[in-house]
Amino acid sequence: MIWYVAKRLLAAMPTLVAVLTVVFVIVRIIPGDPALTVLGDQATPQALAALREKLGIDKPLLAQYFDFITAALTGDLGRSLVSGRPVIQEVVAVLPHTLDLTISSLVLGTALGVPLGVWAALRRNRLADYVIRIVSLVGLSFPVFVSGIFLLMVFSLHYRLFPVIGTSNLADLGDRTWKLVLPTITLGLVMVAYITRVTRSAMLQVLSEDYVRTARAKGVPARLVIRRHALRNALIPVVTVVGLYLGINIGNSVLTEIVFNRPGLGKVIVTALNQRDYAMLQGLMVIYCFLIVVTNLLTDLAYGLIDPRVKQA
Amino acid sequence: MTMRILARLFQVFGTNKTSWVGLALFVAICAMALLAPWIAGTDPLEQDIIAKLRPPSAEHWFGTDEFGRDVYARLVWGARISLSVSISAITLALVVGGTIGLVSGYVGGRFDMLVMQVMDILLSFPALILGLIIVALLGPSQANLIVAIALTALAPFARIARAPTLIVKERQFVEAGRALGFGHGRILFVHVLPNIVSEVLVMASLWMATAVRVEASLSFIGLGVRPPTPTWGGMIRDGFENILDAPWLCIYPGLAILALIFSLNMLGDGLRDATDPKLRGE
Amino acid sequence: MSGAVDDTPVLRVEDLSVEFRVRGAWWPAVRGLSFDVARNETLALVGESGCGKSITALSVMGLVPRPQGRVGSGRILFEGRDVAAMREAELERLRGDRMAMIFQEPMTSLNPVLSVGFQVSEALRVHRAIDAAAADAEALRLLEEVKIPSARRRFADYPHQFSGGMRQRVMIAMAIALKPALLLADEPTTALDVTIQAQVLGLLADLKSAQGMSMLFITHNLGVVAAIADRVAVMYAGEIVEIAPVARIFSGPVHPYTEALFRAIPRIDREEQSLDAIGGQVPPIDRMPPGCRFAPRCPARRPSCEASSQALVEVAPGHSVRCGVRAPAGARAA
Repeated sequence: MIWYVAKRLLAAMPTLVAVLTVVFVIVRIIPGDPALTVLGDQATPQALAALREKLGIDKPLLAQYFDFITAALTGDLGRSLVSGRPVIQEVVAVLPHTLDLTISSLVLGTALGVPLGVWAALRRNRLADYVIRIVSLVGLSFPVFVSGIFLLMVFSLHYRLFPVIGTSNLADLGDRTWKLVLPTITLGLVMVAYITRVTRSAMLQVLSEDYVRTARAKGVPARLVIRRHALRNALIPVVTVVGLYLGINIGNSVLTEIVFNRPGLGKVIVTALNQRDYAMLQGLMVIYCFLIVVTNLLTDLAYGLIDPRVKQA
Repeated sequence: MTMRILARLFQVFGTNKTSWVGLALFVAICAMALLAPWIAGTDPLEQDIIAKLRPPSAEHWFGTDEFGRDVYARLVWGARISLSVSISAITLALVVGGTIGLVSGYVGGRFDMLVMQVMDILLSFPALILGLIIVALLGPSQANLIVAIALTALAPFARIARAPTLIVKERQFVEAGRALGFGHGRILFVHVLPNIVSEVLVMASLWMATAVRVEASLSFIGLGVRPPTPTWGGMIRDGFENILDAPWLCIYPGLAILALIFSLNMLGDGLRDATDPKLRGE
Repeated sequence: MSGAVDDTPVLRVEDLSVEFRVRGAWWPAVRGLSFDVARNETLALVGESGCGKSITALSVMGLVPRPQGRVGSGRILFEGRDVAAMREAELERLRGDRMAMIFQEPMTSLNPVLSVGFQVSEALRVHRAIDAAAADAEALRLLEEVKIPSARRRFADYPHQFSGGMRQRVMIAMAIALKPALLLADEPTTALDVTIQAQVLGLLADLKSAQGMSMLFITHNLGVVAAIADRVAVMYAGEIVEIAPVARIFSGPVHPYTEALFRAIPRIDREEQSLDAIGGQVPPIDRMPPGCRFAPRCPARRPSCEASSQALVEVAPGHSVRCGVRAPAGARAA
């Protein structure tokens, strides 16, 4: 297992460089002058040139690329144009909030989604299955800012069960959890919907496999057949989707943070956007690349835990 | 050729109720957008400071916003932005992504590997973040929005177009076709397209749902089409400031976005069930 | 074996019909099926793919796939109790204990995420109140019994680390773990290459004589039949068309279908006996001919064959044939 983790970690490095490269290319092939976008049409040529120099975009493309990659790999993400503080500092300050939200919604999604998916698969084409399928499709169709606002209206404004202001005291665990409830439900609902659907179809697939029949032929009780023989195999595609969805979740947390006025990575991005803090945006992009590679890495490791065939390969 | 594709489409639709319901809902929303000048009643931009933040009534079905503009009229007109942005973006993604996939599959080798790796990386980037970054760099405008969303949806279409290209490349009838003097383009058009049309349709509707979501989300963040043009996401953004006094400002556009995305998901999901015999009823 | 043999059959199938749903209606895939398997006997079920052999075995195990399939009528008496009428919980107690089954596909029949050792010991854990260590010890002994090389070292390995032949041995170890009275073997050697096939057959024969087990052995390979069976039942389109002791059926097949099957010299290394001489295919279950089901392909066909269905007629002791031409009712041969 340790060998496997080490191998995966090594393999993640080129992936990180590749992801950074793709992002660099996207950012650079897009027509337009970041300096102009930042300073606006009325900016003087001198001011534009100064900003270009500051951002390093006056250099040749190849030099820019090497600067970008080296800086990213050494953890030097530059400084905010507005506050002057290192990007990494600003990110680290809010990261716990975003991680709280992402992880708790992931837990909620798995804890509800997997049993619901299994249930739907076992009741295939009966009422429970139809209801679960329709409801999960609706859940999937909610943009998180809409579901977030709806939840806020019902539970915070109408019933006053949960706070409207989301900034929590990280040191106070009760407060931290309390303010996490609605945002978690908001993000978690989409996650539940996804995981339910994937679990359902994976279970249907697995239940028709020969080895499930073998287990039944051995006299293994139905409950154990489902849990031990079917579900463990069905979890393999579920892990794929959870991994993929973790990325989407990081994106969706931007919206959730706005709706619930929570601090976090999303809030930082939006602030940077509004302040036209180009250096900050570029640093955040690297952070997102990093998060995506880490997510992929975690997914790979989860495979290794579930599927004995992976470790070999 | 065209007849074959149409026949295939009809056959696919005919077997699945979900896709019909989804299609009906989608068509209804499209009709609303097309008929906006006739059914909106009032001008969505007309302000009426006296009648601001009015709750839903017979005069203003969905109430009025902080400038006294009619929410119903803005909702009807807003459908145009959601639909035109997402339809254009997906069409662009389909054409560009499809071409990338076709060329990549046809050329093969290391070029193909490289292209597909880039596509994988694009796919692993959350659409919203990618769209956010691109629009942030380009500045918010309808055209930039379309380009940004199209970029997030390139990869799946490249994948769809590539897979059958690889198969067809090896097949005998391509050789036969070449012997008869048909060009590659014609072979792909005649033999490949009808085979993947249903898959393309499934992907197009599911990714259009994503496109609508991303457009609405970007508008909500303030990176959408510029005000005062009504967009659903923008309406919610404005309404959010008055959420205590005027919840209808968020509720109706929220439901509209939900309905549009839901219709597309139903369409795509139903189509997938109908076309993939392995997945039937899943 | 002493003289005082208990002569109640281990398995008695009476007028069994198994139905499947095709376009909203139920059609029998197996109908009017009756046969016995005596203690320590091997009955081979022979026929083309889709003739109902596997479905017969699955219905004995209570594993007919639902909801698309069901046992329509008839009784399946296993050690005197009707399996077809049992609740799932009762069936679970029988399966893997008193009766066990080996499947055709060793590559897909083992669970890829559970270790081989665990999969073998699982039946022991489920059916016997023994602790994990004892179950593992017994499972290891079983793996050695089916001649898995260096079984101890490979105990914790996963199925993908085993070859097809080795996996089939693991399947056999699982099936015989609790010394079942009846072993159902559904083409256990089809997916294996010739030398491995012979080894597996030898293993099954050894186990049978060592444990006094009965076997229902499904195959379409007549070489395998010759090697392992005591009696043979030939199935066509869900019915038994001929049943006889193995020597008799090889020396004097009566039914035209059996004849066609046996025309080719049976060889163990043949995938499937060619039925080119007859031509045509088994009719689909929702489009069965009204009379003799084999009539459309039969070289000995007469107009009367297509009018009414045929009865199974005993032509000699222990030898019955369903053919109005070769074995007309009432004309019993000595």
